Amino acid sequence: MSGGSNSASGSPATGSPASGVRALARFRAVAADPLAELAAAKERTGLMAVGYFDSYLPEELIMAHGVLPYRVAVTGREDLRSGEFIQGFACPASRDLLDQALRGDLVLLDGALFTRYCDSLRGVFAVWDSEKLTPYVDFVRYPTVTNTVSAVKYLAAELREVSARMAKALDAPADERRLLEAAAACNRKRALVAELAARRASRDLALSGADYLAVLVAATTMTPDEFTSELSALLAWPPPGEPGDALPVVLSGTTFDNVSLAASIEAAGLYLIADDLATGSRWYGVNVETATLAAGEGSGMYADPWEALAHAYLTRPPCSVKEPSSPRADHLISQVRRSRAAGVLFYLTKFCDSEQAEWPYLRDRLAAEGIPAFMVEGEQKGAGSGGLQTRLEAFREQIEMSGDEL
Amino acid sequence: MTTRGDTRPTRLEATESLKSLIKTYYDDLFRAAAEGRPSVWLNVGVPCEFFYAMDVFPFYPENYGAACGAMKLTPKLSAIAEAHGFSADLCSYIRTTLGTVFSGEGPYGQLPRPTVQVSAMNSCVAIMVWWRAVERHWGIPTFVLDTPLVREDSTGINLDYVESEVLRMLSWVEEGTGRTMDMERLREVVRLSNEGKDLWAEVLDLRRARPCPITAADIFTHMFPMVALRGTPHYVSHLRALRDEVKARVDEGFAAVPDERYRLLWDNLPPWFDLRIFGDLAQRGVNFVIDTYTQAWGPRYMGTIDADNPVRSFAGYMGAGFLNVQIGKRLELLTELVRDYEVDGVVFHSDRSCKPFSLVQVELRNQLLERAGVPGVLLEGDHNDPNLFDRERAMGRLDSFLEVIDSGRA
Ligand code: SF4
Ligand code: SF4
Repeated sequence: MSGGSNSASGSPATGSPASGVRALARFRAVAADPLAELAAAKERTGLMAVGYFDSYLPEELIMAHGVLPYRVAVTGREDLRSGEFIQGFACPASRDLLDQALRGDLVLLDGALFTRYCDSLRGVFAVWDSEKLTPYVDFVRYPTVTNTVSAVKYLAAELREVSARMAKALDAPADERRLLEAAAACNRKRALVAELAARRASRDLALSGADYLAVLVAATTMTPDEFTSELSALLAWPPPGEPGDALPVVLSGTTFDNVSLAASIEAAGLYLIADDLATGSRWYGVNVETATLAAGEGSGMYADPWEALAHAYLTRPPCSVKEPSSPRADHLISQVRRSRAAGVLFYLTKFCDSEQAEWPYLRDRLAAEGIPAFMVEGEQKGAGSGGLQTRLEAFREQIEMSGDEL
Repeated sequence: MTTRGDTRPTRLEATESLKSLIKTYYDDLFRAAAEGRPSVWLNVGVPCEFFYAMDVFPFYPENYGAACGAMKLTPKLSAIAEAHGFSADLCSYIRTTLGTVFSGEGPYGQLPRPTVQVSAMNSCVAIMVWWRAVERHWGIPTFVLDTPLVREDSTGINLDYVESEVLRMLSWVEEGTGRTMDMERLREVVRLSNEGKDLWAEVLDLRRARPCPITAADIFTHMFPMVALRGTPHYVSHLRALRDEVKARVDEGFAAVPDERYRLLWDNLPPWFDLRIFGDLAQRGVNFVIDTYTQAWGPRYMGTIDADNPVRSFAGYMGAGFLNVQIGKRLELLTELVRDYEVDGVVFHSDRSCKPFSLVQVELRNQLLERAGVPGVLLEGDHNDPNLFDRERAMGRLDSFLEVIDSGRA
């Protein structure tokens, strides 16, 4: 385990071992109450904030307007209000987002940006838009196909149009210099998260899975600069800790913001050493080609900065709502291999169509590689039940007894 | 003639002739496979016209799913899909069809494997994952045609993109099947398609009559040719016969539901396994004089296709298809329909399987009441899975709803 080393950001580490401990405490606090962090950021900066819901939405678009981006994280709270507006077979994660708005928790948001992403979120958008749950609401007509030049060009054009509407609605024009800065800042923070993940995977840094998930929540709810500075401290001065004899597994799914649920999974003797999550390893590899942005229109690989942005987001390891989706399985397997995990825990959010249909394929692909996999269906709520613990323990014992060395 | 003495609605003759149309279609499907002619699986958002013009046999698994639903085969076929790991919460069309794909069980035995598959994103995400499952199981080359969800219309950059997607798909299909698009033939197919759609629009319009000449079950049954046969000569002749029969009924003042006391609107797909429910409700004086589902093939969504510029014209339809637009457009449609068809109330079938159709219904019900003063009720169910439909409870809710309408009248 190293301390005080240089990180991917390239800047020499400053501070002391205590700064790593402080950073971790901050991430835990942010994950427990990301809205308090947003309130503080608004207070500190005097800027407006626009919320978004899925990790395909480039937060740089929001930042280019001098507005704070905020990914509305799933709270896992049981306080349901959405039943009066949407049926119970919208997935619980999507309903959780609506619950937050209906409870008035999101009053700090000056706006919200949706994409279709999935059909539950599409339903949530309909309610949000009709009920005007934020003063400004807009919809990005996002492509599903991710591997064509025309999709990149179309998304770039669409982002430009959304940006023009946002400028008008919020009286906050976009600025190419700010877009450049935003992309650079987001690249930096994503690279640091990637570094954290790599060091965890190589056992260079023993942060629990629950803490790692807290970092992921913080990554898209804090301002990028604040986050980067805290994560740099954590990487330079990682708090001491050992995974012990817990069984390392990769957590696979869509979003997973419920840190206490992760803690209870780990309490069953599992160690969430790596992930295949929409807000984790399928996101932090996004790297916008800022050289193009800096050089201006018509330079480099892309016609303009929006194209660079579109390309970066479309070429990430895909979620099951995108096409093609098969690279997701390759990505998951690579997460297992590089982290030398003993298996995969697939968390299926109830009523999530695309993941429901992807699971049999992932299961078979993993089986073909000799990787044990276990599926848990849940609602991303609470801190897990006794029943879940028992099943997870059984999964762990099953792998341990099979004695597979991967 | 205003009413009939018997209490259950009389079937249309056109419904009888539909049976032979369906039989011929399935015979053709199997013949094409036996002769090695190319075929394609499509979702309903992909126009069959292209494929008739290319001589690639178009097959719609959603139609097949509905047929299995009507035959009450979903629980059995779904169990097979579930045994393969597919969730019981997935759309029941998916579970039904995958049950056949995995086991060969179903009303026609195993379905012939298509040469290629094409799905468009203009109805739901579930379609894409459904085709994906078939692609993985049978190894069928599969194309996803991107139609990004829009608010109301597909214009500008969105339309350009969808048009480019249609062109990309056509050359992909040409390559995968060895067939080429015959533009002259496409024009002729489009002409026939437009003719049939005009007849369909007339049928929908004739339902405005008081009393209404047909029931919801009648019209839902006729979805098959609208989906799978557009652009063929027998489609036009069938729709003409249907239009003539319905028109004759209107001219005679025929009431499909004797003592039509409640003119209701049905929102969403019907429960295919229980179309009898419409007959049972007829005995309470209820007729569903209009619905939203069949409008998807009506002039508001699938207007006349420009035979001189068919690709762009189809792209416009696909980009702003019924389920590819959002709540504002649905509310507009409902408001128009309740006005034009003098509707007393709306039954929102909350279809557990179909999120894009259903998840806006609570909001729609509230807004429609506010905007048009027409009450609505949510009815929990499913279009194919009888296990998700509690008929007794549904009838109880409908009875209470009729009382709400009565009290509004008083
Ligand atoms: S868990 Fe699945 S259904 Fe729910 S919001 Fe995420 S992608 Fe959509
Ligand atoms: S979810 Fe709805 S639109 Fe999609 S296949 Fe099922 S019934 Fe059709």
